[in-house]
Amino acid sequence: MDPRSAYVHIPFCHRRCFYCDFPVVPLGDKADGASSGSVAAYLELLHRDIAASPGGPPLATVYLGGGTPSMLSSAQVAAILEALERRFGLAPGAELSLELDPASFDQARLAGYLAAGINRVSLGGQSFDDGVLADLGRRHRGADLREAAGWLGLAQRRGDLASWSLDLIQGLPSQNVAHWDDQLSAALALEPPHLSVYDLSIEPGTVFERRLALGELALPPEDLAADLMDLTWSRLTAAGYGHYEVSNYALPGHASRHNRVYWSGAGWWGFGMGATGAPRGRRRAHPRTRAGYAEALAARAEEPADAEGMPFDERLMVGLRCREGVNLERLARQENLKASQLEGLRQRLATYEQRGLLRIEGPRWRLADPEGLALSNGVLRELLAWWQEQEPLPAPAP
Amino acid sequence: MTDVPAQRIRNFCIIAHIDHGKSTLADRLLQDTGTVAARDMQAQFLDNMELERERGITIKLQAARMEYKAADGQTYILNLIDTPGHVDFSYEVSRSLLACEGALLVVDASQGVEAQTLANVYLALENDLEIIPVLNKIDLPGADPDRIKAEIEAIIGLDTSTAINCSAKTGLGVPEILQAVVDRVPAPPDQVDEPLRALIFDSYYDPYRGVIVYFRVISGVIARKDKVLLMASGKVVELDEVGVMAPDQRQVESLHAGEVGYLAASIKAVADARVGDTITLAANPAAEPLPGYAEATPMVFCGLFPTDADQYPDLREALDKLQLSDAALKFEPETSSAMGFGFRCGFLGLLHMEIVQERLEREYDLDLIVTAPSVIYQVNMIDGSTLMVDNPATLPDPQKRESIEEPYVKLEIYTPNVYNGALMELCQERRGEFIDMKYITTDRVTLHYEMPLAEVVTDFFDQMKSRTKGYASMEYSLIGYRRNELVRLDVLINGERADPLTTIVHRDKSYNVGKSLVEKLKELIPRQQFKIPIQASIGSRIIASESISAIRKDVLAKCYGGDISRKKKLLKKQAKGKKRMKAMGRVEVPQEAFMAVLKLNQ
Repeated sequence: MDPRSAYVHIPFCHRRCFYCDFPVVPLGDKADGASSGSVAAYLELLHRDIAASPGGPPLATVYLGGGTPSMLSSAQVAAILEALERRFGLAPGAELSLELDPASFDQARLAGYLAAGINRVSLGGQSFDDGVLADLGRRHRGADLREAAGWLGLAQRRGDLASWSLDLIQGLPSQNVAHWDDQLSAALALEPPHLSVYDLSIEPGTVFERRLALGELALPPEDLAADLMDLTWSRLTAAGYGHYEVSNYALPGHASRHNRVYWSGAGWWGFGMGATGAPRGRRRAHPRTRAGYAEALAARAEEPADAEGMPFDERLMVGLRCREGVNLERLARQENLKASQLEGLRQRLATYEQRGLLRIEGPRWRLADPEGLALSNGVLRELLAWWQEQEPLPAPAP
Repeated sequence: MTDVPAQRIRNFCIIAHIDHGKSTLADRLLQDTGTVAARDMQAQFLDNMELERERGITIKLQAARMEYKAADGQTYILNLIDTPGHVDFSYEVSRSLLACEGALLVVDASQGVEAQTLANVYLALENDLEIIPVLNKIDLPGADPDRIKAEIEAIIGLDTSTAINCSAKTGLGVPEILQAVVDRVPAPPDQVDEPLRALIFDSYYDPYRGVIVYFRVISGVIARKDKVLLMASGKVVELDEVGVMAPDQRQVESLHAGEVGYLAASIKAVADARVGDTITLAANPAAEPLPGYAEATPMVFCGLFPTDADQYPDLREALDKLQLSDAALKFEPETSSAMGFGFRCGFLGLLHMEIVQERLEREYDLDLIVTAPSVIYQVNMIDGSTLMVDNPATLPDPQKRESIEEPYVKLEIYTPNVYNGALMELCQERRGEFIDMKYITTDRVTLHYEMPLAEVVTDFFDQMKSRTKGYASMEYSLIGYRRNELVRLDVLINGERADPLTTIVHRDKSYNVGKSLVEKLKELIPRQQFKIPIQASIGSRIIASESISAIRKDVLAKCYGGDISRKKKLLKKQAKGKKRMKAMGRVEVPQEAFMAVLKLNQ
């Protein structure tokens, strides 16, 4: 099936946050997309990237992520959407998302983005605590976050914005249950239709990794981290949010359609430096530097046709993150797996099934919410090990 | 080759402690005599097993023949016979010393004499070898040759007035060493006319030619096509090849008394041509074999189990193959309810055990679980019978046994005297019985203890090294069995007895060992989805208990387009780590946990 989604990477930031390992280009606190030569040069590459794509059916979801896409002017955002429309077309009612960072936009700029066609916003809040924000290397403060969320709520109530999401980070250094409870209260008070709550993860090459190695980062011990996660689940589900994926909660009708593409096995286009696309299921990433990206675009050969779809193990890896799990019997059929092979997998996962962490309901396998999802890595390790043993790989069904 | 008369042959070895530069000096001798061109020189030519290079030690013996033009204008044949440098292989050392008339005693000019060196020097002196003291690493800033010479005189009673200062690294003193070998090492006795007797001092298995035997001709002549008798094994074989190591194997027609060489005769396994055996002519055999032959006796035992039960036949095949080249390795099938099918294996010592384990994993690509080493206990049963038990899990019930005896060793530790206290404390903890302490110089002593072997084969060596900043060295030999109050300590994981963790301990130490063992296991076994009780018991009595709480959170925070490949890689790596675990009931137990009893003091 041809992809109906596109991810567009805008790498520019004012500064790099201490936990961030994304392909970003910090331009300094004063920088502005509209006047920056670097931004203009990059956008030219990006437009070339989009124009050179083989094209396909109209897009149902578009996600402009970063970096800090709100460093772009509304005209620059509009130009990207227009380029996508020219190449693919935008389906009626398409979900067009933009990531915004508090303190990097104002109400007028927001209005400009919405006029350009953006109808969903993801707000990178992370925390309401000024001390925590400073420790994360963020540029905004709690007041900026509240103000920005207020504008989004207002736009939504006016009908100018279909939906918006707030990002938070849990499991931060020195965090305790009371502090996190306050953060969740503050978030709920803003009534975001969608919440993404991520665990802080320490990635190689980041400031946090260095600090952790030096013993300067007091991460919550495992039991506390589990308590924080439990609290998130109980507070948000009590407030009416559905836990539709490991890290994502939404009020009815507000789950992100674009995110669901990543976990469903459907393909998507990736545009921009460092962007990963998987138009036919196999992932391919653009180079993570601007120079490498430019070179790759200049040298771009005809994309090899691959129609094999997302590899089976990855399909399960992402599918089991979602509340509804996967239709394993159908996937196994597509993969030409024998019933005995599936039985082998089930045996391996027997302890999870016995403990109610894994639910097998007819053809559908899913992890119990929240206990099973909280331990999903254990299931995934078994699954990946099992899959590696299933050799020689059976030929996929035509 | 037989044109070289015995008067112009010199057979010698090098005795040295690890790191004192034996291999570097050997390399230098090969180079200076033109035996190996500098450009062909691999670092440490003689240590040619990959493992040996990595560990900087010699496991298998090697030998090399050099031609050297001496000051008198004559060309001499110098045979260098390498010796292994580890206590596990002291029998091999004794055989290679028998093949020599002289030895270079190489001592680091700043470190001084160590226990292992000392043990080998005494062996050499017993065998009437001429010893040439060599002070190595003379070029280093810390070198103090005069002090070390005084020490050698004091400890060994050797005259060091003719000791040679050298630097194997720079080549300083190497010509003097070569000339000293010619001048001072006696020529082998000329016994060409007597019946053939040749001493096997090493052998290894070559997949194409069968066992390659290294030997020293003591009397008579050995020639290609000869039919020879191996006197201990009783095998009669016809020789395909006779040759010398120069240092690569080069075939010759014959070798006579005094010479050192190799032979190949389509021998299937090294067990048929063991170190110490005597080669003689089948048609005209010697009346008596050479003295001192002994079969290798394993001292340390452990269980080897494949992590994946499907690899059991592969493991058997690998052990069969390894045994072809390692006559000291013993094994028999072992079945454990907890571990499934595997083998009980016997080794000369801990190093030998580690080497075999590593070779199995590297050369045969097996994933193994190795259980903690045990010694062999003698159990005197009520009914008057005796049982030898090399697996603690098979120790009979207390009501059936009258007493247990365990092997004891004589242990000698050689150390700077500042560590006396620390070492005596260690020996005390390990049930050592103090025999005596001797000052050999003003600041160095030998401590002499008698100690259960079981206490030595755990982490004694590591503990000794860490408590003396690496300065102490040790040597031990078996002195017999002694009766002790020993009990079987079992471990229960999730309520099920874990056979491979069973250990035999002294009753007085059982409570402490049990307590530390369950604590250590709690640390080593990863948390799982359920709570796991871990208990230590003697009989039906639980003496220590801990529990591992259930894991509650193990999930990837983010998983979007770009994250997935990286996270999948990570999970796959972790899944591979799981392969190193063994499922005991429903609990995944990592390899380290099976060695927990060795790590109680860390």
